[in-house]
Amino acid sequence: MAELNFQEEGKKVLTAFYGTLSALKLYPVENDTVQQALTSLHAVVNAIVEKEGSAEVRVVGDFFFLNETRLRLDLSNFATFGSFARALQDHGIGAVEVLPGIQRSEWAPFVSMLLRKPGQPDPFEVFMDRFAGAPVEHIDLRPEKEVEDPGEQSEEALTAAKRTYAQSVQVAKDVLGDVRLGKAVNVRQVKRAVQGIVDQVLANENSMITMTTLRDFDEYTFTHCVNVSIFSVIVGQRLGLEKIHLYELGLGALFHDIGKQRIDHEIINKPGGLTDEEWQELKEHTTEGLLQLFRMHGFADVPYRQMLMAYEHHMKVDLTGYPRNTRDREPTLFSRIVAVADAFDAGTSVRSYQYNPWPPDAVLKEMRDNPKRGFDPLLVKALITATGVYPIGTLCILDSHELAVVSEVNKDPDLLHRPKVRIISDPMGVPLTEPVTMDLALSDPATGRPARQIIKTTDPQKYGIRVSDYLT
Amino acid sequence: MTELQSGGGGAGKAPEGAVAWDAPDAPVQDIRELFVTLGKAFRAYQLYDENNPVRHRFVESLRQAFARLWEQMGELTLAVEEDRLRLDQTEVYKAENRGDSLAFLFYKDGIREISFRPGIEAAELERFLGVLQRARKLLPEGDDLLTVLWEEDLEHFSYRYVDVLAEGVSLPVAGPGNTEAELKSVLQAEAAEADAEDEEAAQEAGGGGDPPAKTVSQDDFNPTLYSLDPREMETLKVELQKELQRDLRMDVLSALFDRLEEPERPDRQSEVLGILSTLLPNFLSRGALVPATHVLHELRKLEATPGIFDEERMALSRRILDEVSRPDFITELIQALYDGTIRASPQQLANFLQFLRAGALAPLLRASETVDHKELQAVLRKATKGIAERNRGAVVRLLEETDSVVASGAARMAGEMQIAEAGPALAGLLAHSDPSVRLAAVEAAVSLKASTAASALQNTLDDPDREVRIAAARALGTLKYRPAAPRFADIVQGKEIRNADISEKVAMFEAYGLVAEEGAVDLMDKLLNGKGFLGKREPSEIRAAAALGLGKIPGPAADAALRRSAREDDPVVRSAVNRALRESE
Repeated sequence: MAELNFQEEGKKVLTAFYGTLSALKLYPVENDTVQQALTSLHAVVNAIVEKEGSAEVRVVGDFFFLNETRLRLDLSNFATFGSFARALQDHGIGAVEVLPGIQRSEWAPFVSMLLRKPGQPDPFEVFMDRFAGAPVEHIDLRPEKEVEDPGEQSEEALTAAKRTYAQSVQVAKDVLGDVRLGKAVNVRQVKRAVQGIVDQVLANENSMITMTTLRDFDEYTFTHCVNVSIFSVIVGQRLGLEKIHLYELGLGALFHDIGKQRIDHEIINKPGGLTDEEWQELKEHTTEGLLQLFRMHGFADVPYRQMLMAYEHHMKVDLTGYPRNTRDREPTLFSRIVAVADAFDAGTSVRSYQYNPWPPDAVLKEMRDNPKRGFDPLLVKALITATGVYPIGTLCILDSHELAVVSEVNKDPDLLHRPKVRIISDPMGVPLTEPVTMDLALSDPATGRPARQIIKTTDPQKYGIRVSDYLT
Repeated sequence: MTELQSGGGGAGKAPEGAVAWDAPDAPVQDIRELFVTLGKAFRAYQLYDENNPVRHRFVESLRQAFARLWEQMGELTLAVEEDRLRLDQTEVYKAENRGDSLAFLFYKDGIREISFRPGIEAAELERFLGVLQRARKLLPEGDDLLTVLWEEDLEHFSYRYVDVLAEGVSLPVAGPGNTEAELKSVLQAEAAEADAEDEEAAQEAGGGGDPPAKTVSQDDFNPTLYSLDPREMETLKVELQKELQRDLRMDVLSALFDRLEEPERPDRQSEVLGILSTLLPNFLSRGALVPATHVLHELRKLEATPGIFDEERMALSRRILDEVSRPDFITELIQALYDGTIRASPQQLANFLQFLRAGALAPLLRASETVDHKELQAVLRKATKGIAERNRGAVVRLLEETDSVVASGAARMAGEMQIAEAGPALAGLLAHSDPSVRLAAVEAAVSLKASTAASALQNTLDDPDREVRIAAARALGTLKYRPAAPRFADIVQGKEIRNADISEKVAMFEAYGLVAEEGAVDLMDKLLNGKGFLGKREPSEIRAAAALGLGKIPGPAADAALRRSAREDDPVVRSAVNRALRESE
């Protein structure tokens, strides 16, 4: 019996669901279009049930799973799938499991119920009450809260992310050290590290973002390279890049500052401000990066894209910034992604010439709202969809006057400002023995208002708060 | 040992029905046969190209072997050792020679366990064999099997490996958190700051209005400001497609040339020039003529811009342009154009060739004379002419080339381009051992109207090659080179001309008429109309040729001679006479 191609079948299922939802929105159930859509949906899902014993579609954050396979979305189908996800999430449904014996007649009542207005205060409970009376016997539903990505947030996931992160930082250290010494770079090692970053971001994005909060000033040069690689891959994933292109992006991002290894070490590590002359010299790192990548062998092809990421990541969208251009130029999309990732990580980090980093949310706001910064506004938005308005690691004060650290982004675009946090102190500043995780999207059942809200964010480094202690 | 990591599609997940390693009823013999078949298919894959039926046969056998196995088990997971593969403790594959060993191929890059799942025999078998083949050829400084497998992203083959990157790397450990004093200091400082800001805002607003928000308004959150809407996603989708199709070489080149324009950094200029000299053959080997042309164009522009290059950098730049004009390079280029490695429009090729220097002339000439592709030949000829026009002296020098093709091409070019100083060299070529060169030299001499060559042309009337003799006669006729008249008179009366074919006869008689004019009428009248000993006339072909020769002479004498044979019985003669009369009218 032929093996099921879950990617293909998964896309068919989601498309069929979307088609049925759309048809039922417009026409009565007797309409031919609706009937055809129902037939198609039943055929696609039933084929999977017959082969696999059951078919479960889960929505976890931004991702869809068909049974155990995470479906790869791209820019050609994100809207279709997003619409279906919204229909489920409106009713608090996280998973739909179709069991053997499913009849064609069961689909219409189920899909019609999805189109009804969600009940309050608990949409899932209301839906299940209605569902109990419907002639549907072979569809099981699970609430959103119970559905978790098996890869996310588990100890195992965090350990895997830590391993990848630590290895990548080590590789960055080795590579940059080798470049400074004029030694040959172990390209294989670099590739493995970047492939690891891509794998972890795809499987375990939240944990990888958490890793970027591990700030170590002494290691800034190396952690920054890895962080930029992680953020770039995250943005790339939001854009629907395929795995191999995510790798290209991650690789270029890891190398984006490689030119600094050809700049005087004393300038790079000079504490305090730089003189104009030193700034001019530092700005040469983009060109030096381009030239350095020509020296590196072991790639299957000349890494033009990576070279441009190194060369263009300080160019603004209006082509100001540096280096200056005399010939026509349009910075590549990948370079613009790296520019955004670089600015976000650099803006939130303590560096030799920046002792007072901004809180992550302030950095994002500045990047989004200040056109003089010259970032691609859509890519800044793409980053915000991944990091939320308050990125992981943001130290915040809640309206309860408790101190909290943002630990997880709310994947719902409407709730980007309500992340999950780890509350680390009571309103008096007394540390909690065991930090408490709270979802700021949850409402107080009594008032219908959010249980907690962020009223202020602040710079953890200003007060010596090590946010990673509460996250890793 | 570092713990094993997973890779490949569905890693770590065994579908229902999978047979574990220690399954007592595993079809060991079938697995052994599968690996024998895999070994053969792999060898065939390495030896034969993708259309070869032998390769197809072996791959098909492997496909069937997998299919048979899946009838008995749901997944095949094997331990990888240095020289063997094991199903639990049972050896299913062994190879003594590392060079041929599939086990060692996996083992050397850290893979310690491999799993095949149903489906590999359908879409992924060729890709799997391709991975193994790539792994065999990998360079030490490049990929390894793990990176190649990752890129291939097979769904029905997974593996576990020892991660050498993890050795000696310690994982970050969470710290104990902050003290009460530290946390309190945050709250106190932030509260004080907030109070101060509130007060300041109240003063600024004159006691009215709300203080500026420090955070996102929790109640009025507008997601469109933060997340991408479908229209924006569509914009990015278009951008992404554009990005993936973009020729990044031109962007990189623009960057290099922007920086090359900085004379204050001569060392960097040298580095950039070094890069360009390595990029050029790289572009051409990939058939990228447009960026290669761009390099040459920019270099020539910068060379001509004062103050960009010092002497040393100028020499480096010139060396690049000289390199592409070297004969061996041109030979390679022509080969690449001919075999399709470089696919370029005639205009693109012409754009590239215009940057070549004199050194390229000889090989280009040779190519333009010998290539049997009309369009390519036309482009090469045009380009050659362009270079020749900029290097007229080089064309004259090429007339001394020992290569006959080049010498004859140069001769024709010298004629076409009216290079007067080529006359003496062309005269020398008339004695060249190769008739094609002599012929070209004759033709060039005509074009040039070179008197130095014309005198040498007389000797060519005795050339052993008929074509050359005819061309020389026509050339002298065209030039109306009077000193050749006695020589032609001898020829038309000689014995050899009687054995020549009609074309040569006509060429000689017509040339005689042209160079001697009225001085030739008596002799040719005699040959056309006269009767010899015993009243016998000249043979028809001689008489016809004489008639045509007379036709080239203006004036009543020649006309009268022709009219005497106007009613000739011999059809060959009569036809020639009539034609000559028409021409003279």
